Amino acid sequence: MFTRDMTFTDVERLDRIAAEAIETFVMDEDAFRAFYDRTARSVWSYLARITGDRALADDLLQESYYRFLRAERRFDSESHRRNYLFRIATNLAHDRRRRGRHAVSVPVPAENEPGALVDRSDLAAETERRTDLSRAMATLKPREREMLWLAYAQGSSHEEIAESLGLRKASIKILLFRARRRLAAALGGNRA
Amino acid sequence: MTLIECPRESDVLDALASKRWPHRVDRELVDHVACCEICSDVLVVAAAMQEDRDATWREANVPSSGQVWWRAEMRVRHEAIRAASRPITFAYIAAASIALTLMASVGWFAWPAMHGFLSAIASTQVSELSSPVILPLLVALGALLVVAPVALYLVLSDE
Repeated sequence: MFTRDMTFTDVERLDRIAAEAIETFVMDEDAFRAFYDRTARSVWSYLARITGDRALADDLLQESYYRFLRAERRFDSESHRRNYLFRIATNLAHDRRRRGRHAVSVPVPAENEPGALVDRSDLAAETERRTDLSRAMATLKPREREMLWLAYAQGSSHEEIAESLGLRKASIKILLFRARRRLAAALGGNRA
Repeated sequence: MTLIECPRESDVLDALASKRWPHRVDRELVDHVACCEICSDVLVVAAAMQEDRDATWREANVPSSGQVWWRAEMRVRHEAIRAASRPITFAYIAAASIALTLMASVGWFAWPAMHGFLSAIASTQVSELSSPVILPLLVALGALLVVAPVALYLVLSDE
């Protein structure tokens, strides 16, 4: 293999190319940091819940924001930007599932921090309820988990759910109804 | 026909989100939820999910925004440089392949002549090497073998 020493001109040229690539980011650093601070926890929670794997959620969080930054599009509003971010996160989770590297297992809630033990007398009951939810969620299809989390944990509208999941708005109502019914039954609330 | 939504769903969700359920809501809403399948499902699911969301948020240990930005910058820089370097590498590989092919072709066609020449040298007496034709030819061949790689290096490397 032929190799070649880099000249000063090469370094300058590549540096310029790298700087131009950074300029293609969808937003500048200040705007990104503000947006990240507003959304990172909800994206992480969403990923942790739909994949059932905290370490995977950490990886996918980074990847989601990177792909978001490199998206070649302009956003009309904060809501549009946010929905697009969730769509990226959802697609990444689907890709991982398809590749089979991380089969969705029963997601077990993490142990609470010791400080929380002092503050929360109902900790055991909460942990039990969360474990029940994890088990019930694991019986649902991935799409149902995503939809329910967006609707009831994040309070997204049908339109936002449709945009985040790449579905038609008209189909959200019935899909959400079915998913909710299944989860309520699995949680022991009502009939299936 | 199965009903799939109830107009009171949003009231239930509002009451849960504002932590008013079940003690600080109208009695009428509580009675409605008790007899409405849809609203009772909404209550069960939304209550469980909101509790889980609050706990997950507390546990979430996300990297700082500065860290994520810095990593993205490094990655895009690396990818851009790698993409820009690709044509140069490709040109070198193509040039090397062409050169090797040419050398092999020349070697293939010239082999009978070279073989005869080498056989002639092998059968030549040492005293005959001082002939005015053979010796300079051998010296020139040796020099070519030494100079050719150096010349190749100088051509392919920058000043």
